[in-house]
Formats: sequence, structure tokens, C-alpha cells
Amino acid sequence: MTIEFAIAIIFAIVLVASPILLAGLGELVVEKAGVLNLGVEGMMLIGAVTGFAVTSSFGSPWLGTLAAAMAGATASMIFGFLTLTLAANQVATGLALTIFGGGFSALAGKAFLGKTVPAFTQLFPSPLATDPIWRVVFGYSPLVYFSLAMCIGVAWFLKSTRAGLILRAVGENDLSAHSIGYSVTGVRYAAVAFGGAMAGIAGSMFSLVLTPIWAEGLTAGRGWIALALVVFAAWKPYRLLVGAYLFGAVMTLEVHAKAAGGVFSALPSELWAALPYLMTIIVLVIISLRRSGNSVAPACLGKPFLPTI
Amino acid sequence: MQLRLEKRAQPSRTMLYAAPILAVLLTMVVGAILFSVIGYDGIGAVLEIFTRPLTNPLKWQDLGVKAAPLIIIGVGLSIAYRANVWNIGAEGQYVAGALGGTAVALLTMKMQGPWILPAMILFGILAGMALAAIPAFLKTQFDVNEILTTLMLNYAVVQLLYFLLRTVWKDPMGFSFPKTPLFTASQSLPYLWPGTILHWGVPIALLVAVLAWFVMSRSVFGFQVRVVGSAPHAARYGGFSAKRAIWLVMLVSGGLAGLAGVLEAAGPFRQLVPAFPTGYGFTAIIVAFLGRLNPLGVVIAGIVLAISYVGGEVAQTTMGLPSAATGIFQGMLLFFLLAGDVLVRYRVRAVSTRASGETA
Repeated sequence: MTIEFAIAIIFAIVLVASPILLAGLGELVVEKAGVLNLGVEGMMLIGAVTGFAVTSSFGSPWLGTLAAAMAGATASMIFGFLTLTLAANQVATGLALTIFGGGFSALAGKAFLGKTVPAFTQLFPSPLATDPIWRVVFGYSPLVYFSLAMCIGVAWFLKSTRAGLILRAVGENDLSAHSIGYSVTGVRYAAVAFGGAMAGIAGSMFSLVLTPIWAEGLTAGRGWIALALVVFAAWKPYRLLVGAYLFGAVMTLEVHAKAAGGVFSALPSELWAALPYLMTIIVLVIISLRRSGNSVAPACLGKPFLPTI
Repeated sequence: MQLRLEKRAQPSRTMLYAAPILAVLLTMVVGAILFSVIGYDGIGAVLEIFTRPLTNPLKWQDLGVKAAPLIIIGVGLSIAYRANVWNIGAEGQYVAGALGGTAVALLTMKMQGPWILPAMILFGILAGMALAAIPAFLKTQFDVNEILTTLMLNYAVVQLLYFLLRTVWKDPMGFSFPKTPLFTASQSLPYLWPGTILHWGVPIALLVAVLAWFVMSRSVFGFQVRVVGSAPHAARYGGFSAKRAIWLVMLVSGGLAGLAGVLEAAGPFRQLVPAFPTGYGFTAIIVAFLGRLNPLGVVIAGIVLAISYVGGEVAQTTMGLPSAATGIFQGMLLFFLLAGDVLVRYRVRAVSTRASGETA
């Protein structure tokens, strides 16, 4: 294996892992506030199509990403209104959001099929960004650096800020947080909006950086993998980072399996395609074996809260 | 003045049945507005989608054919959701059912006899159950969340379908297209009447719904499922095993999805092709909720969703409405239904702002 080949693989891993990391970080904050939003996949698709449409129309991927974040946040507010204000079932509402997002994005994206978008400009000067070796550090899409910064940011926010403490309190014991005088519903709305924005950006990374075209359902279930990774990470941002890169490695293997030769190329391509999903199941089993009884999930996860007094 | 939700002592029965009707009406109104905004004839589109399949007798058969798998899967899911078991892997179990039935069909290509079709159906049901047994096992043994495992298996099974069609199951006479040979007469689901497309899956769907209704409302099993779902602590005191309930509802919902899959493969498709998974397993989730998790309600809900499918196709050809429009309508329908459900459990009260100013 040459160094160039190794770098190409690392490059690919980081690229496919980043949208899962982004969406996962958003969902992690949502779940820390005690809300389970299963609509990640739908919000990602809405973000993907919005980001693509805006970038294609105005020529700026930065503007497209911003629009994708806003679209994701807007879509998450449908979920927020139903589950937080009307106390609807969170599981069913999240599923509805995913079904709706699939239909909406397919309809909105029809006009943009076959179109192309301008790429992000490199963040670092081109001698570094295009160097065959150093591009492994400096040559990524700005959204990759953004996802890493957000990982540090979310970890710091949850651990070291007052607002993060309140958010965790709301997720662990909504009644107590309410009786001290914090607005449980308000905090949860904010968390859900953040999760929606992050899912929107994650989706736009698919349509603007990874593919980069618009195709129906192009996120291919990655939103669901992000959801599983939050459980895998035991609601810890840095573990989520590790998990996302681990999954990125598996998905990249699928692409490079044929090229690598030997035992890898003997396996059918469909097995590689199914591997991330099967691995998710295996990982979930391993976590629950290790957990042995006492759960680390936020205590109020998925439970509706309506102030009665 | 502000509006406040107040919990009802008893869920409102009127609202329980009014909510789905309200949801359908609201979906039509908002759908009309939405499609007008993006430049279609919104009212025309809604009328085309929701009334054309009913007013055109030629479309009634299509309704039956589309509703049958939705009802069969929806009945199974309604039982699972009653027990608070979130099987969202019906799409995969549906495909697994088709795979099980097709395996029998490919082994019996040169044979004839009335036993072949029942054997296919049996293996279809067993395959659906086998796939559902994986999340049931993981849930009961290791407490692994069934939402994620059932969903992940959907993707895996579809890949298995692609693999089989590309390799061992590929029709040697099929010009290298990834598809199985056409099923023989002994392997195909007969039509109810010659000259129609209505097959035996339609009466089977109705039978499944009636049987399920009877079991859920009149048997100890149905009672246990409902108690485990709505009052897990009471169920434990009553000596009902939650694990047993999880196993049973997963096997029933998986088996029914498998039944729908094998009927679809032996009926309208008569072979397996990569385009076999069409999302019935996901739409059936909406069917289960719209039908109030009641097997008889699921029949009506299945027909409503079948209307949206058939009408969507009509609107596609007559108005150029994209097929994705159906997904939007279905998503909105579930949103409105869930929003309407709040009226079942809560009463909307107007309260004066002064009295509640401190805590509002």
C-alpha cells in the first residue's frame, strides 16, 4: 500500500464520517434535553435539497449551507410543536417527519435533477490544501472542520457552561427543572431547533460536498445511523466522533474493497453495502452488554412534559 | 387570555374517531394550499388524488390491490404498537416474506399441484417471522432498542434481495436483467374473477383484519398485549410476561408483513425484481395510526392510503404531479393525526393570563 493510497482512504473516511458526526451531534443535544427526534433522516433530506437549491440558484455554497441549517431548523419546529406543545407521541412524530421530509425533498428537488453546484473554496492556501501528503490535514471541505469544531463546542457547552447544565437538568429531571423556574419547553424547543439545524447542514454536506448532485433519498439512511451512534456514544460528544469515524471507515471499505484485491474483493458488494447497518446492530448489542443494568440515557428521554401548574 | 391543555380524566371517544376524519380533511386543505403555492392547480390536484379513485369504477380494483398489503401489514403493526413495541422494520419483513415464498417457487418450477402456493405462503410468513425474531431476541435478551434494529434490518434485507437477484436467483433467460423467472400457474395467486386484477390477497386482508379484531378485543392474548402496552407495571403484578408479549407481537407483525410480501410477489408481481420494495412497510405505519391501532379501523385507513396512492398515480398522468407528492400527503396526514390526538387526551381551555402569569 502506497502512502498516496493510504491518504486517499483516510481522506474518504473523514469525508463520509463528517455528516454523520454533524447530525449525531445535533441529535445528542436534543436527547440530552430529554427529547427523542427520530426525524433526523427527514431533516437531513430537507437540508440537502434546500442547500443544493440555494447554492445552485445563488452560486454560493456558504449561503446554501446556511439555508440548509435554517430549513432543517424549520422542519424540526413542526416536530417541536407537535411533541412539545401538543405532547404528541415522539416516536410517531419523528417517523412522520422522516416520511414528510422524503416526499418534500423529492418534490422540491425535481427542478434540480442533473444540475451541478460550485464547490466550496479551500479553507487553507492551495500549496497546503493540494499537497499530496498534507491535504490529509488541510485539504478538506470547510464543513469537515466545522464538524470538528462543533464536536469540541458541544462537549464544552454541555460540560462547562451554565446553559449546558440547565439543558442536562431538563433532560434528567424535567419536574425539578420546572419547579426551580426553568422553562422545560423553552429549553427543549431550543435543543430541537439546534438538532434540526445540524441535521440540515449534515444533509447539505451530502448534496454539496459528497455526491455533489441532488438525487432522491441521497442520504440513504445515514440519519438513522447517526441516531444509533448517539446511543453507541453513550451521549458523549467525543465518543460520537470516534463512532462516526469508525463507521466512516466501514463505509469507505465498501468503496475500496474491490480495489484492494484479495479476500476483500471476493465478498459480494451487497454485503459491503449492508455492513454499516449490520454493524450498527452489533454495536448496539455490545453497548447493552457492557451497560449491564444501569442505563446512561437521559432519564426523561422521550417522555412528554406539560406543566400542570 | 391564553389556551392551555388540560388532561381529561377519560380519553374522549368522540375525539378518538373524529381525529382521523379531521386529519384527512386538514391534509386535503393544506395540501391544496401547498400545491397552489408551488405552482400547481392545488384544488384540482387534491380532488384528483382523493376523489378520482372513488368516482372512477375502473380504479376500484386498483384500490383493493393497493389496500390489501397495507391492511395486512397495518394490522400486524397495530398489534405491536398496542404493546408499545416499535417495529418499524415491516418493509424488511415484507421483502423477507417475498424472499421466502420465492425460494419455494424457484425449487418447484418444474412441479405442479395445489400445494405449491400454500407452501410458498407458509414460507413467506415464516421468513417474515424469522426476520422479526432477531430484534425480538435482542430486545428481550439484551434490552436493545427495537426501533433501530428493525430499521437497520430493512436496509440489510434489501441488499440480500439485490444479491440474490444478481447471482443465484437470476433468470438465465432474462437477458442478464437482475430478476427471477416468472412464476408458473401453480405458483401464482389466482384472480377472484377472470378479467379483473383483484386477487385472493384482498379477501385474505379482510379476513386477517377481522380475525385480529376478534383476537385483540375478545381474547386473553389481546387483553395482555393491551395491558403490557398501556400499564406495564399492572401487567407485571398481573403476572403477564412483558418478554412473552414482545416475542408474540414481533412474530405476529413480522409474520403478517411476510404474508403481505409473499402475496404481493405471487400476485401482482409474479416474480422478484429489484423494484419489489415499494415502501408499503413504511406507509403501513401511517395506516396503523390512522386506523387507531384497531384492526377494523386499519381496514378503513388502508383504503384511505390506497386512495392516496392510486390518486397520486392518476394525478401523475393527468396533471404531471410528481410521484413524491404522495409522500408529502402521507407525512402531513400523520402530522395532523398526531396533532389531533391531543384532543383525545386533553381538553383545550382558555385561561386568563393574570391567573397563570407566574408559571406560563
